[in-house]
Amino acid sequence: MKKMSKILPLLIAPLLLTSCGKVSKYAEHLDDYVFTMKYHQNFNVLQLTDIHWNANSSIYESKNYMDKLFKEVDDHIKSLQGANAKIDLVELTGDTFMLSNTYQVRSFINYIEKKAEEFGFLYAEIYGNHDRHGEYHPNWLAKQFTNAPHALYFEPNDDLYGRSNFMINLTEDGTKETSVKWQIANIDSGASFSESSISPFRDYDYIRQDQVDWWTQEHAAAGLDVPGLAYYHIPQDENLKLWNEVHNGATYKNKFFKLEEFADNGNEEYASNFLDNGKTLNLKGAFMGHAHNVDWTVDWDGLVVGLGVKTGIELYYAHVDPENPDPAMQEGLASVGINEKFDLIGASLVTITDEEDNIEGKFDLEHLYLNERESGDFVKWVKF
Amino acid sequence: MKKFFDKDNFLFPSFTKGQKRQSLVISIALIIFFVFSAYTLFNAMYAFTDGIGSIVSGSMDSCIRDLMRSIPLFLSFFMSVWALFLLQAAFRNVSDEKRIKSLKKDAITLLAFAAANLIWVIAATIAGKYHSLVEGSPSPLYPLDSILYSLIYVALAIFTLVYVSKLQDKRPFLLETRGQIVTKARGLYCFFISFWMLLALFSFASFTIGLFIHDFGNGYFFYAISLILVYFINFLYFAVWEFYYNELKEEKKKEFLLPLAICGLIISIIVAVLYLVSLGFDLDAPANSGFGILPVAFAASVNLATLIIVFTPVIVSIVAFVKGLLIRKK
Repeated sequence: MKKMSKILPLLIAPLLLTSCGKVSKYAEHLDDYVFTMKYHQNFNVLQLTDIHWNANSSIYESKNYMDKLFKEVDDHIKSLQGANAKIDLVELTGDTFMLSNTYQVRSFINYIEKKAEEFGFLYAEIYGNHDRHGEYHPNWLAKQFTNAPHALYFEPNDDLYGRSNFMINLTEDGTKETSVKWQIANIDSGASFSESSISPFRDYDYIRQDQVDWWTQEHAAAGLDVPGLAYYHIPQDENLKLWNEVHNGATYKNKFFKLEEFADNGNEEYASNFLDNGKTLNLKGAFMGHAHNVDWTVDWDGLVVGLGVKTGIELYYAHVDPENPDPAMQEGLASVGINEKFDLIGASLVTITDEEDNIEGKFDLEHLYLNERESGDFVKWVKF
Repeated sequence: MKKFFDKDNFLFPSFTKGQKRQSLVISIALIIFFVFSAYTLFNAMYAFTDGIGSIVSGSMDSCIRDLMRSIPLFLSFFMSVWALFLLQAAFRNVSDEKRIKSLKKDAITLLAFAAANLIWVIAATIAGKYHSLVEGSPSPLYPLDSILYSLIYVALAIFTLVYVSKLQDKRPFLLETRGQIVTKARGLYCFFISFWMLLALFSFASFTIGLFIHDFGNGYFFYAISLILVYFINFLYFAVWEFYYNELKEEKKKEFLLPLAICGLIISIIVAVLYLVSLGFDLDAPANSGFGILPVAFAASVNLATLIIVFTPVIVSIVAFVKGLLIRKK
């Protein structure tokens, strides 16, 4: 018994210690959440989403696909913008992993680091609902990205919802000393939550009010006239609202495919006001992932809201087929002007086109559909 | 408490030297293959859940592609669990004759699973389904490691066949046989025991993995502890049933059932309530702490499977309690 009384505290102490770290207040440390990069005209942001390296993945095949994808994007950018142009930033908008283990995570980070070195980009990691669904501790996952030389990732022990929310300010000289030209928000839209302890189902998470407040404060700190982009994983209620508005006659410019539901639980109680708020504060684009069979994008009076194209061959993706009579399929096909079968996988590219001394909040958006085929790969770029 | 562990309560209160040695070897092997079964089940569940995710999302082709790639993961689990059956047959059978028959049958089945894996990996590699024998993912040596793993079971199966064939006239097992546990409603019993055993295996793996992947910080401490307890209780109950209760003499089983059931009911209710209360305090906890040990549930965004795991010990205890009461009445 005496022995036990000595051993027990030793066993419990580490558990208690890990639960007692000091929680900082985000509002007092706004500057800590900011990374900076140098802004230039034609700043290229490549969105890769829902890569899903998982228990069944063939890393060999996945790497092959991604090799082709990076090369295609790099060639495309150079052909349009000149030999010196490159991918500046890669946004990994969640579900990079699902049901993975430490070997798979390490393999991915080693891979993307090599690509970052080869193509000269930095990458931002944003969590999706599956990234922490693996055989590792969430802190271990965070450490991998924190220590990766080309990764932008920040995970403080703070009072802000989500594990990792951070800003990338594109400034005049790439430091915090000069003015902010554009601001890119990286938001952890969570994973899922139960409505009660005995609820048999879970709802997909949403951007919480404190995250909206944080974004508003970070934006104010950068300058109210600074245009912004936001990247996160789970579509918010506005996606569905806008889809319904368009199909009830609203004339918003819209394009691409919606071949499954977004993710919204339809409950007003859990609706986020992130986009409503951002729209009034110079947010120009919001891009997410999650629904693999959807890349539908809409221009909501100057705020472009859309899902990125699912990246890679893992897990599920839509098979686009002109012979499929489904109205949503036909509508998508008509919008992109393609009349052949292909799979809805690839990537999305945002190019900020503002001149350095004339910031107007302008950018181009293109979706890349890239399918590997024995007869020659299918490659199509479609401009929004 | 001493009363419960009196050696005269048990079917075999004492062993000869030879029986002791044999019992020890089989017990150690049982523990090893229980652990192997638990982790291979966990891996297989990961692969299976991923496949289910594709089906739910309407991509049957992705599901078939993915599950085919993971066939060695499924066969590794079947090999491990069949080794467990084989070893259990060495312990529990109605007669020596039946025991030898069961062992031969189990060894041949084991050999078939191992051979199927060897053939699949080699054929799939030749056909280009695997880029090489060390293509990688989920482990650096996959699928070669599954070949090496199969060889363990080939060796175990061959050893068993040779051992029982060579010595079948000389009584190869010194251990006494134990009677089969149930003779009535065998189909239902087998279904329930198989389900409970899978739950115990999954719970053991989740319990041990959970110790390392739970986030005890960020306000998830009580949720993490309660989920760990849920898994611990699940495999503990199975272990008590298999290694304690089924080793008791028939009259002692009748005597101890009610107190064991009451004890189990109290513990399982406390653990279930603890889980529900801790979840109530932090409804997003499952997606943030120990996420990787949740069963198939998350892929379809449902809590149901977790709730089944939480309430299985309660249900088992209630069944035992009712049975105990009926026995007392008689």
